[in-house]
Parts: sequence; structure tokens; C-alpha cells
Amino acid sequence: MSNIKIKSKNLNVYYGDKQALFDVNLDLNEKEVTALIGPSGCGKSTFIRCINRMNDVIDICKVTGNIEMDGMNINDKDLDVVSLRERVGMVFQKPNPFPKSIYDNISYGPKIHGKGETKSELDQIVENSLKKSALWEEVKDRLDEPGTSLSGGQQQRLCIARAISVNPEVILMDEPCSALDPIATAKIEELIDELKKTYTIVIVTHSMAQAVRVSQKTGFFHLGKLIEVGKTEKIFKNPDNKMTQDYITGRFG
Amino acid sequence: MTKEERLKKRHRAEKRFRFYGLTSIFVALLFVVILVQNIFSKGSSAFKKTVITTEVFFDQELLEIQNGASQEEIMEADFYDIMIENLIKAYPAKDRDEEDELLKLFSGDAEIEIKKAFLNENNLIGKTITLDLTASDDIDQLHKGNYPRDLPEERRRISDFQLVIYDYFVENKKISKNFNNYFFNNGDSRDPELAGIGGALVGSFYSILICLLLAFPVAVLASIYLEEFAPKNKITDFIEININNLAAVPSIVYGLLALQILLATIQLPRSTPLVAGITLALMTLPRIIIPCRASLKAVPPSIREGALAVGASKFQSVFHHVVPLALPGTLSGTIIGLAQALGETAPLILIGMVAFVVDIPSSPVDPSSSLPVQVYLWSESAERGFVEKTSATIMMLLSFLIVMNFIAVYLRQKFEKRWN
Repeated sequence: MSNIKIKSKNLNVYYGDKQALFDVNLDLNEKEVTALIGPSGCGKSTFIRCINRMNDVIDICKVTGNIEMDGMNINDKDLDVVSLRERVGMVFQKPNPFPKSIYDNISYGPKIHGKGETKSELDQIVENSLKKSALWEEVKDRLDEPGTSLSGGQQQRLCIARAISVNPEVILMDEPCSALDPIATAKIEELIDELKKTYTIVIVTHSMAQAVRVSQKTGFFHLGKLIEVGKTEKIFKNPDNKMTQDYITGRFG
Repeated sequence: MTKEERLKKRHRAEKRFRFYGLTSIFVALLFVVILVQNIFSKGSSAFKKTVITTEVFFDQELLEIQNGASQEEIMEADFYDIMIENLIKAYPAKDRDEEDELLKLFSGDAEIEIKKAFLNENNLIGKTITLDLTASDDIDQLHKGNYPRDLPEERRRISDFQLVIYDYFVENKKISKNFNNYFFNNGDSRDPELAGIGGALVGSFYSILICLLLAFPVAVLASIYLEEFAPKNKITDFIEININNLAAVPSIVYGLLALQILLATIQLPRSTPLVAGITLALMTLPRIIIPCRASLKAVPPSIREGALAVGASKFQSVFHHVVPLALPGTLSGTIIGLAQALGETAPLILIGMVAFVVDIPSSPVDPSSSLPVQVYLWSESAERGFVEKTSATIMMLLSFLIVMNFIAVYLRQKFEKRWN
């Protein structure tokens, strides 16, 4: 059994008067892929946005309870979110490369964190990140072209490269394949398999098949509550909860 | 109603709508054409001025200076006699009255023009040169065909005898039209043939420059703060409503404000581009903030999130990513705001820019006019020469506005980046 990297205890999230998460207790294991499944609006994305404090962007959002990474309270008001996000990277639903060159897309993170002082160091980081995200061969000759000129799947891999460029410990993926075709999706899944050797990964997905393929642990959310969590194999073969059973067999959601 | 009938009705409705649309565009274009045609037909002649080719002999006795005299000596020398002596030779006049009438055909600056020619070329004493001297407004308008000569004499500004001289000039090819440098270089004047928009151009330039320097940074920073950093609460809502309202406040109200605060309380010098610039900046501020905020709003949130997710601070995500993307829209909004300010008249009238200013301002604290106010001033003048000058000034103003708008559109199209 691997170590627990992130641990949430009685996590509650409110958007104004509306409660979006109810007492979520979920542990994420180190160097493992945890998939979060559930119908739209069930709070999966809200949960992972708690891990890198992305909910701070929303004025009316309030988070209570505990969420810890290596024993450090993420939800601490005094925590520096900049250094937190350096350790917890994120990939979004829609590929969102900066409208800059491929090189600048990746070098931006290291630059603002003071990693890679010299040009050659930066070059190295860019190359490594692109290699890790399996994009290097496709773009090595056109690093100065805009990131937005790539195809959707390449853009998403570019965003993954951008996330790993600052060498985080955790990567959050919010439906990273929902805007991609099956071939691009397969590539990303392959990549996730590779990345989990180095990083702790949390992926939100609407595809059961994807959850089965990439994850070791799966959590099922419904209406803001974590209904069931366990080994992926168990959740999909023999869930304890009737609702989980209904959801994975396509009876609702 | 059968299915076919209903279908026909739908097609008819669409055709009708297309017809309405086309008609509207046609009517709008018609108005524009009428406006432009009217201004051009009236104004284009102002870019030429009528000159009378005259021989000028620099008589040593009349001048009282020597060849090789210094610049200052020449400036101080009296060229009046030289002017009179030479101008009356332009036409064989019989007596003093006829000579007076002849002299009236030249502009009031004939003496200065002769002096300038003397200054440009050295050692002209005892020599004769040929000069193109500016004709008076009456001759100018007559020569341009703006002046009816078939009216009875008592209703004309030009006497019968002057018409005879004019015809003599025409016959001997002594009268011609030159590029009107006075129109661009001179300040205002009581004499239409000498009046120019030089002062107004410089005044407008200083005003807009000050307006830009004040309004642009304030507007951009205010927009960035309101759009990106300010908490969304009742106070910011209130500020937003007020900014929108201020953009719709009649410009003359800003003039009143400037009159009370800038002139009466702070005692800044009146009629100056400085005050005009501050007033226009106040007026332009909300008009820049609105497009600026709109272009910040148009930057997709995913860009901000992308930056935040790699650990950029709020400040970094805004200034490294959002602002550069919003810049084209911001700049074009600013230019359009400035173009509006350039054409603004009412507040400038209130702060005293309607004063009659002959000198071209050398700094923003000199009394000055501005282009739209010059249009207003000249449109009220009785002399015929000011009619074409008014239209020509409007042409200048319009061309500046068109150029500015063109730059705004160009900036937006050239630099606006597409995402996804």
C-alpha cells in the first residue's frame, strides 16, 4: 500500500448559500491515479479545485474542513497559494494554452518560480517537459510557433507539459479528454500511465472506461457527497453501494 | 392557412426585411454622401490661395538700409514705402483714389511678404524681383468663382474699377492660384485670406496629448483594478453604474465643472490647451474605461486559470497574460475616445477657447484655439472667405478622425490574438 499524499477530512464547500460538497473524506495515494466519477454537478471538479485552492478565484466560494498534503493544511488561510500551485499542477477540461509560442507556454512556469536561470537551463526544462508529455517529437522543430496552432490533442499535451514544467508533486486533471477525439484520448491515457510513476494524479472523468483504464482508485460522487471510494477494480466489479452500481451500469447520470 | 401559404408568407417576411435593411443602408449612405459632398465642394478651394504676381524693386532711398545689413536691421526697417511704391505699379492707375482701390486688392500682409522675400535672399537692394503676393479676400473669392460679379455695384464689396483691374490682371496672367500655406501655418486672423488653422492644430494637438497622458493610464489602471482585482460587491456595482452614467453625461457639463474647479478655484490659465486637456481627460475617462473593461472581460477565464494553475500570482496572471491580450481592444477604445475628444466643442467653449488667438501656442499654457472651436468661430464670421475655411477645417478634422479610427481598427485586427 502506498503512502497517502492528500487527505481530506470533512471537507465542505459552499457557493454562496448553496452547498456543493458535504463532508468529503477522501485519501489520495502517492504516485497513483485516482479517478473521480459521478454525474455532472456532483462536485468532482469542486473537490479537485480545493486541492490547488483554485476555488479562491470564485468570490462567493467558501471552503471549510481540512485538506492536507503531506500533513500541511492546504486550506490554511495563511498558506501561500503560489507555492502550493507550484506543487500541485492542473490540467483543464478545455485545452487552454497561452496565446504565445510553444516554448513560452512551457518556460513561463519555471521562469516565474525562478527555476532555470539561464537560457540553456530553460531549454532543458522545456525539452524534458515536452518529452515527458510525449509531444517533443511532434513540436521540436517549431517551438516558436503559437501553442494555439496545435491540434486539440497536442494542445492538451502541451498543457500537461506546462503543468509538469514546474516539477509538481500532484497533477489535477479536470476531464482532460472531454474535448478530444478517441486517438488523442488514447495518447493522453498512455501519458497518464507513464506520468503516475513520478506524480500523484487525480483525474475527473465522465468516461467509465477511462476510469477503469487509467486509475488504481476510484471515488464516486453524487450530489456533493462522496458515495463510495475504493480500488478501481472493486468499484467497477463489485461496488458496495446501490447508487454506484446504478451509475456505472448507466442506469442514471 | 395551407402549408404552402404559410411558407410563402415566411418568404415574403424575409424579403420585406431585406428590403427594409437595404433601404436603411441606402438612406444612411445618402446622408453621408450629401454631407461629404457639401463639405468638399465648399471647402476644397480653401487649400489654394489667389496670388498676384508683382514686380518689386528695392529702392535704396526708400529702404534706408545698406546691402549686407544684419537680420535685425532688416526686421526693423520700414518696408511700407517700398510696398506702396511697387504695388501701385501693378496697374496704371490714374489718380490717388484709383491707387487706393488698387492697394485694397492685396492682402494686409503684403509688406511682411515683401520683407520676408528680402530676408530670404541677400543683397536685393537696387534689384527687382518678381513676387507672388497674396490677394485680398475679395479678390480671392472672386477668382475662385465664389463671388457673384453680376450684382449691382452698391451690393458688391468689389467696386467696378477693381473689377477692371482684376480683368487686367487675368488678361496679363498676373493672377494665379498657389498652395495655401497660410491655411496650415497661420493662426487665426480677422482677414480670411491670412487666417489659418496652425494655432488650432497645435492647440488641439496639445489638448489631446494632455488628455491622452492623463486619461489613458488612469482609465487602464481603473479598468484593470475593477475588472480583475476589485471584489464584486455593492460598492463596485455602484462605481460601475456611475462610470456608465458619466460616459453619457453631456460634455458641456464637464465644461462647467472645469470652469468652476480648474479656472475659478485652482486658477489655471484660461483658454489654454492645459485646461482643455484636463477637461477632455475627465470626459474621456469613462469612455475609455468602458471599452477597456469590455476587452478585459473578453479574455477567456481559462487563460487566467491556466496562469494561476502553474503558480502565477494574481498580479502575474493579469499583467503577463490578460492585459497583453486585452491591449489591442484597450488601445482601439482609447483612440476612439480620443477621437471623440478631438471633436468636442462645447466644454472648450466654456473654458474660454473661443477667444480670438492670433499667435500659435508654443506651450500648453499659452492661450489657444482648437480645431472644432475654430470651426465654430469661423462659421459665425460674415466674410465669404471664412465659409470655405470652415469647411476646409471640418475636412481636416474629419480626416484626423478617419485616420484615428483607421488606426484603431488596424490595431484591433492586427494584434488581437485568437484563442482556440
